[in-house]
Amino acid sequence: MDLNRLPNDKKLQLCRWYFKVGCIFLPFAWAVNAVWFFKEAFVKPPFEEQKQIKKYVLMSAVGAAVWTCALITWVTVFQLNRVSWGATGDMLSFIVPLGRA
Amino acid sequence: MAYKKIILLLSVVLVIRLSQCERLHEQIYSSIEGGAACFQRLNGTHQAGCKSPMNGAVGVVQMIDDVSDAAWLVNNATAGPYMAVVNTAMFLDVIDLFMLKSDNIAGILIYQNGTARPKTFSQESTCPNEVSSDPASQCPASSGVSWNMGGTGLLRRNIPFPIFYLPQTRIEEIDKINNCFQRYNLDRANQNGKPLCSIQLKSFMFAAVNSEVCLRRSTTSALLTPTKVCDPLGDQNVYFSLFPRGKGVEVKTKPITLVTARIDSASLFDGLAPGAASSVVGMVTLLMSAVTLSKMLPISDSQLYDSNVVWNLFNGESYDYIGSQRVAYEMKFGAWPTFAPMDSSDVKLHVELGQIGGSLNLYSENASWPLYAYAAESYTPVTEFLNEMLTNAKQFNMTLLPVFTKNIPPSSLHSFRRILKNETESGEFPEVLLVDYKDTFTNAYYESVFDDADNIGFVYRNISVGPDGQFVPTSALLANGTIREWDVQVKISRLATALALTLYQRVAGKPYADDVDASAHLADEMLYCFLRSQACRLLLAAAYATSTVEVPVASAAPLYVGVAAQSNTPAIFAGHLLALLAGTHLPLNKTGCDALNKPGFSYYWLRGWNHTGVCMQTTMNFTQAVSPAFLLQDYDMSSGMYSTWTESVWAAMWARVFVSGSGGGARAAALAGAAATLAAALLTYWLSKHADLLFKQPADSIANDAASGSVTGHRYFEL
Repeated sequence: MDLNRLPNDKKLQLCRWYFKVGCIFLPFAWAVNAVWFFKEAFVKPPFEEQKQIKKYVLMSAVGAAVWTCALITWVTVFQLNRVSWGATGDMLSFIVPLGRA
Repeated sequence: MAYKKIILLLSVVLVIRLSQCERLHEQIYSSIEGGAACFQRLNGTHQAGCKSPMNGAVGVVQMIDDVSDAAWLVNNATAGPYMAVVNTAMFLDVIDLFMLKSDNIAGILIYQNGTARPKTFSQESTCPNEVSSDPASQCPASSGVSWNMGGTGLLRRNIPFPIFYLPQTRIEEIDKINNCFQRYNLDRANQNGKPLCSIQLKSFMFAAVNSEVCLRRSTTSALLTPTKVCDPLGDQNVYFSLFPRGKGVEVKTKPITLVTARIDSASLFDGLAPGAASSVVGMVTLLMSAVTLSKMLPISDSQLYDSNVVWNLFNGESYDYIGSQRVAYEMKFGAWPTFAPMDSSDVKLHVELGQIGGSLNLYSENASWPLYAYAAESYTPVTEFLNEMLTNAKQFNMTLLPVFTKNIPPSSLHSFRRILKNETESGEFPEVLLVDYKDTFTNAYYESVFDDADNIGFVYRNISVGPDGQFVPTSALLANGTIREWDVQVKISRLATALALTLYQRVAGKPYADDVDASAHLADEMLYCFLRSQACRLLLAAAYATSTVEVPVASAAPLYVGVAAQSNTPAIFAGHLLALLAGTHLPLNKTGCDALNKPGFSYYWLRGWNHTGVCMQTTMNFTQAVSPAFLLQDYDMSSGMYSTWTESVWAAMWARVFVSGSGGGARAAALAGAAATLAAALLTYWLSKHADLLFKQPADSIANDAASGSVTGHRYFEL
């Protein structure tokens, strides 16, 4: 979809919609939202809805960043400790590797 | 025209097919057939055995002709990792070095060359089943002597590389590898960067760490991968009683003499566990003594006697006494066997036929056969039995030397001494073990691939059996010279007779006066079934009578216990032999036979000697030989109380030889690829920069083009 062809009120609607979707544990939607509407929020000359778009873009960006940090931390901790956690580690694994600890 | 084109196409296809009859894969690799791989087993605390990486281990071939080759391989060789090709005679000398410095070793291929055998070859530890032994026993003994002196213990160690074994019959595979080795790998100093003869061994194992972890992973039903990675070891024990036992069968519980032996053996390699001296001689002796005594004391006389004899064959004894631990464990609660439970106090004497057969080759031209009887203490039932046994053995040129010591050789006695500690130590459960060695095994190939018929000097006589299963008496065979005094068949049948006579004395309270004895002819047939071929007269007659006749394979069944989920043939063979030879033949058809349900008996519809089907009534039955560790909830796998052995699951095992490239080709390909990518990137960049040279301008700018008269003018104009 080409944002340039969209009227400004539709842009705001879309941006808000993406933010809301991201709220249901879909950080990737937030990340897309932040990237997609970055230009609209910060680069384009001011227009009426820009302030609100800016707000949603910022919140989406921060949310996505927090999620990323949390996921990276968890993956690191899990990968380093899966073996030592024993039964819990196996239970948390979706695919248990064959032939090794 | 089209017609001509089709003909052309067809002829091209034909030419390609004719010239490329081998696939590229087959041109590169030559598979090594007939090998047996070392695989992985796990116990409560460790993993043991071999595994390869998931895609197989690849190494440069190095034929090991002497120890210096092995030393060069681990210390100086630079084109590694290497695949060591070792013959069985050299194996013992080099394996420690390879295990110690395994970095440069990708794997080992062992082969047997010629009929000459190594002096010792046993992958069991020097003190077999040490952790499951009675704490009072001591191995190695204070003198430094241990039971299995030549043992490498590989069976219980984690081996960091795959090992494959090639028997003598597959020696042409070794010739193939050697030719390849001679052609490419001889110049040791300049191996780097040259094409080299290499071997790839694949034996990837699913399990890891220990039994606890692998069983947990096997039961966890993960959403995507419900993969079983290991199974508990186990099979069936074979139970047989002289007289029927159990509630509603006996008026009062009769005291019991328990006679036991083991069925299983082991080896490092898949499918190769002949176990002749390790287990078969003991098992056959037990079967024959049971058959003989059941003829001396027919079941119809059971009410005349106040005691009973129970024979039991344990399975899985190689792996921390699985079968006997289960029996001792259930006996502790008065729950064994489930169909006619006995209490440990009912057992007045336990006689175990241990490893007998290792010394048969030492006395191959000699009728004597020195045996030893180990017992922890000289309790009265033990000494009585030994005196009687000694008298009976003496008439057959056999000697029996009692050894009273707490240091009992590896045998099921250890299970009873640990689990029924109070009973065995107080003398309520007296035990005696018959073996043919003292202090150390006479069998140099304990639980190995060489523990076969040749290891006990068995030569099949192939004497025809009578129409109703009559066997020629030993005396007749000796008289007509078919068999000689010192043949293993004669020795085993005489030991079985001596044991049967001793047991008769215990049950009847008087010496046996009639002329029933165990026939060397039966021993000949039984040994042939267990050591040479499953397609033997006895097993054909003892098989289930089914409408479809399956011809068994003409080789011996491996005696490795295997996983509990699958029942193995040796225990079934032994049980059916007891049913056929020691059971009562009832004149019934199949329907009548299947309908019978008399307490204390089982009924088997077997093929019989005429192969028309016979109904056998027998006291024989099977009981589970699975370690109590797998029954108990919350059993601590690392406690070492019960056997915790499991076997890893694997998908494929194969070996192949090929010439690996020098690496020059791969490097050239990589460089060419990088160069091509770079060139393409540069070209693309240039094209995008000068796109207007190549592509037509949009229609609306044509007018401008015309006006400016040049492309550069247009660009300028637009800017």
